[in-house]
Amino acid sequence: MSTFRKVCRWLHRELGFLAVGLTLVYAISGIAVNHVHHWDPNHSAEVETWSIEAPGPGPTADVEPLVLERLALGEPVKSTWRDTPTVLQVFTEDGTVEVELTTGAVTRTRNHRRPLLYDMNFMHLNTGKAPWTGIADAYAAVLIILAVSGVFLVKGRRGLAGRGGVLMALGVLLPVVYGVLARG
Amino acid sequence: MRRIMFTTLAVLLAVVAVAVAKDKTYGKGVSEGEFTKVSAILGSPDDFVGETVRVEGTAVGVCSHRGCWLELSSDVEGESIRIKVEDGVIVFPKEIIGETVRVEGVFKANSPEVAEKKCDRTKPGDEPVACTTTYEVTGVGAVVVGK
Repeated sequence: MSTFRKVCRWLHRELGFLAVGLTLVYAISGIAVNHVHHWDPNHSAEVETWSIEAPGPGPTADVEPLVLERLALGEPVKSTWRDTPTVLQVFTEDGTVEVELTTGAVTRTRNHRRPLLYDMNFMHLNTGKAPWTGIADAYAAVLIILAVSGVFLVKGRRGLAGRGGVLMALGVLLPVVYGVLARG
Repeated sequence: MRRIMFTTLAVLLAVVAVAVAKDKTYGKGVSEGEFTKVSAILGSPDDFVGETVRVEGTAVGVCSHRGCWLELSSDVEGESIRIKVEDGVIVFPKEIIGETVRVEGVFKANSPEVAEKKCDRTKPGDEPVACTTTYEVTGVGAVVVGK
C-alpha cells in the first residue's frame, strides 16, 4: 500500500470517529429544519382551555388586574397586551394566556423546547454565532478531508476506476443537474 | 496521547458551553441615541421611510418557526409594528414574547404593487384582501431590556 493511501486511510479513520457526533447533529437537525413549513422543529405546544368570570371589555387599566386575579396563575407574569378590544394576552415564562374579555374564555398555550432537537437546531442554524462559527467551519473542513480521502481508500474494480467512480459521478451529478434545472 | 485528547475535549466542551450561552443582544445590537415612539412613526409613516429608527416596545408576536420577524407593541394601545430581519442572520426565539425589546433598523414601506401581488395569490372564493401600503422596520439589531 502506497504511503499516500496509508495517509488517506489514517485521516479517514481518525477524522471519521471525530466527526460522528457533529454529523449526527447536522443530519438529524437537517431533516427537522427541512420541514419547517410543516412543524415547529424547536418547540412543541401544549394548549389548555378553561373559563373565568368575564371581566368585560373595559379600559385595560381596569380589566388587567381583574383578569390576573381571576386567572390566579401563581407564577410571574412578564407583561400583558391588549391584542384587540375584546382580547387581553398575558405573557408568562413559557407562553401566552389569551383571555376573551366578553365571554371569559381562556386559552393557554405553553411552549416546550423539544429535548435535544432544540439544541441540535441551535447548532445547525448557528443561532449562537461565534464561537460556533469556528467549530462549524472546522467541521466543514473535516468533511472535505473525509470526502477527498475516501475517494482513495480502495483501488481497483471497487475503487475510483470502477464502481466507486460510478457512484461518485452519480453523487456529483445529482446536485449539478438539480442546480441547473432549479435555476431554470 | 490520552492527556492531549482529554485536554482537547475539555477545550471543545468549554467552547460549546460559551456558544450555547444565551445572548440577549441580537445582530448588531442598538446604538446610542434617541428612541422614536412607535405611535409617532405610525402616525406619519411617510416622514420616516428610509430613515434609521430606534424603537422600544413589548414583543407581542414572533415568527414561530423561523424567528425572522417580531411584532413590537406601540405606546398606543392596539398598535404594533413589524420588525423584519434577514433570515438566519437574526433569529428571535419564542421566549422573547412578553419581553421589552429595543430595536434599531430602517423604516420601510411595502408598496401597493407588492401588496397587489399578494392579493393575486388569494384563492377563488377567498375574501378579497385590501391592497394597501404596509410598513415595517428592517431590523439590524435588537436588545432585550433588563436581560
